[in-house]
Amino acid sequence: MNDTTNRNPLTRLRDGYSSFSDSLHDRWATAPRWARWVVYLVLIVVAIILPADGIGSFMSPYTDWPTLLFFPIGGYILLAIGLNVVVGQAGLLDLGYVAFFAIGGYAMAIFGTKMHMDFWEILVVGVLLSAVSGIILGAPTLRLRGDYLAIVTLGFGEIVRIVAQNTDYIGGPNGIGGIPHPPTLTEWTVPDNGFFDAIGLGGVQPFKYGALDGKPYYYLMLLVIVLAIIFSKRLENSRVGRAWASIREDEDAAELMGVPTFKFKLAAFAIGAAIGGAGGVVYASQAVSIIPNNFPFILSATILAAVVLGGSGNLPGVMLGAFLVAWIPERIRGLQEYRVLVFGGVLVLLMVFRPEGLLPSRRRKAELAEGEGGMGGLGAEVGGPVTVAAGEVGE
Amino acid sequence: MLLEIKDIHVHYGKIAALKGVSVEVDEGEIVTLIGANGAGKTTTLKTISGLRPLTRGSIVFDGKDISKVPGHKRVLMGIGQSPEGRGIFPGMTVVENLLMGAYARRDEVEKDLEEVYDLFPRLAERKDQAGGTMSGGEQQMLAIGRALMTKPKVLLLDEPSMGLAPMLIKQIFEIITEINRRGTTVLLVEQNAQQALQVAHRAYVLETGTVVKSAEAGALLNDPQVRAAYLGGGAEAAAGPTA
Repeated sequence: MNDTTNRNPLTRLRDGYSSFSDSLHDRWATAPRWARWVVYLVLIVVAIILPADGIGSFMSPYTDWPTLLFFPIGGYILLAIGLNVVVGQAGLLDLGYVAFFAIGGYAMAIFGTKMHMDFWEILVVGVLLSAVSGIILGAPTLRLRGDYLAIVTLGFGEIVRIVAQNTDYIGGPNGIGGIPHPPTLTEWTVPDNGFFDAIGLGGVQPFKYGALDGKPYYYLMLLVIVLAIIFSKRLENSRVGRAWASIREDEDAAELMGVPTFKFKLAAFAIGAAIGGAGGVVYASQAVSIIPNNFPFILSATILAAVVLGGSGNLPGVMLGAFLVAWIPERIRGLQEYRVLVFGGVLVLLMVFRPEGLLPSRRRKAELAEGEGGMGGLGAEVGGPVTVAAGEVGE
Repeated sequence: MLLEIKDIHVHYGKIAALKGVSVEVDEGEIVTLIGANGAGKTTTLKTISGLRPLTRGSIVFDGKDISKVPGHKRVLMGIGQSPEGRGIFPGMTVVENLLMGAYARRDEVEKDLEEVYDLFPRLAERKDQAGGTMSGGEQQMLAIGRALMTKPKVLLLDEPSMGLAPMLIKQIFEIITEINRRGTTVLLVEQNAQQALQVAHRAYVLETGTVVKSAEAGALLNDPQVRAAYLGGGAEAAAGPTA
């Protein structure tokens, strides 16, 4: 292992990247408060000028860049942040995450077209509804672990889609059309002067949600993403986050420490579902019409791939993963039917290269080293369906 | 009686793992459960700490029937366990692991942390090392230390000697005696019957889900049947109990 002379270049490249990401991690961990705020500020400014045409012509030569930034890129990032709560923090493998995205989307469509509620009201209702559905899914199924849980959640995702497909009230397979856009907040226009023109944002009305310009929707998504990041980060560093970490690393041991594991797993499901639901509401508010096939199983799998690829449990990592998973297939659209092959190849390469993810958390590495697989139930001992704590039977 | 297990039956699916086990642990004692693989020792401990539901019988702790109390609440009542295979949180540092032990507590933990470091100076040296990267012996110390951080009235230890070198085994058993001397009741599950019987006051022998024998630990060390079955029998065992 220490023999550096006859290793192949790929291994050396991998080790190089690894030590680079480690040193970056250390720098960040020891950086003073003000330095972090500067980085946050720079990132927000970059995010704001991101939809500019100049950037778009390189990033997305085949598709409208701001629309692409809204969905799939922004949408995937938001969903990955939500799924990261469930998979990355609490270590519960959820293969039906798209269900909550669908519930949010349908909430927007139903309340918007049938009850004429306003986007902001629906956002609140949709988030609550998704959280409740997370609890409804979690309560009977979170007694299962690992693969068993994964299979049941997979089933739930399919149930939601198939119920939508077969319910006439919500349009069956034709879905719902004519979903209202969010109300315009202000007609304020970015001034048409030299600086904003130079970066390609002159004349944009960032808070007027029309049918043509994708930028306002992107900014809306950005706002929701920032809120989700703050929420998720605060949870991670709290008592709740510690409980989740202990459940992920050893659920039985967590219970023996006095952590009410069932309640915390349910909370992870509800919070993850709420974030997914928010994504659904925002997505539908732009889409005008949604159909059940907007929410296929493959979307759950893709978001999970984004989380694992980026570095499950580490927020910047999962966001990077989601960005790549959303962006690469669009960027290589010029390859036509070969693009999926290339995309698959890239994913395989990345996982061979970085099995722990592109930007893994330090803790995750230690978990992987211990051989638990670092994915809670996924890698750990798999209890049978009868693995139920005594008290939960009694209640 | 601090802990009283009355005729408990536990099933994994349709298979009965425990078929009527009764064990009593008095305050201040070290009681050990010995037996071969699959005898039901670990299941007994898991049932006491609430990780397994019981199908029949009852568990009385401190005068209260806790058979239906969820595991995480039993911790607050005073049942601390160091689980089979140690159950260290691999991604957390030694301190974080120990503090997880105090997760459910609302009071000051500094004093208890100091006490654990006093018992296991090795842990104090390795405060910031990730639990998963420690050696087997260190992990065992951490598992016991973490269980002590729950401030247990009774400490359940599941095979603390498993996979450890003889020197370390000796050390772990000395520490168990010391913990008991400082006032914590210990219920010890062991395959290493020789060692367990030497530190324990009383012992139960489990075979395929039932208690086949219970007596003073010293008496079991001299019991010909127990010697033949669990202590390697023959001349070596005959010389053992004189110590």
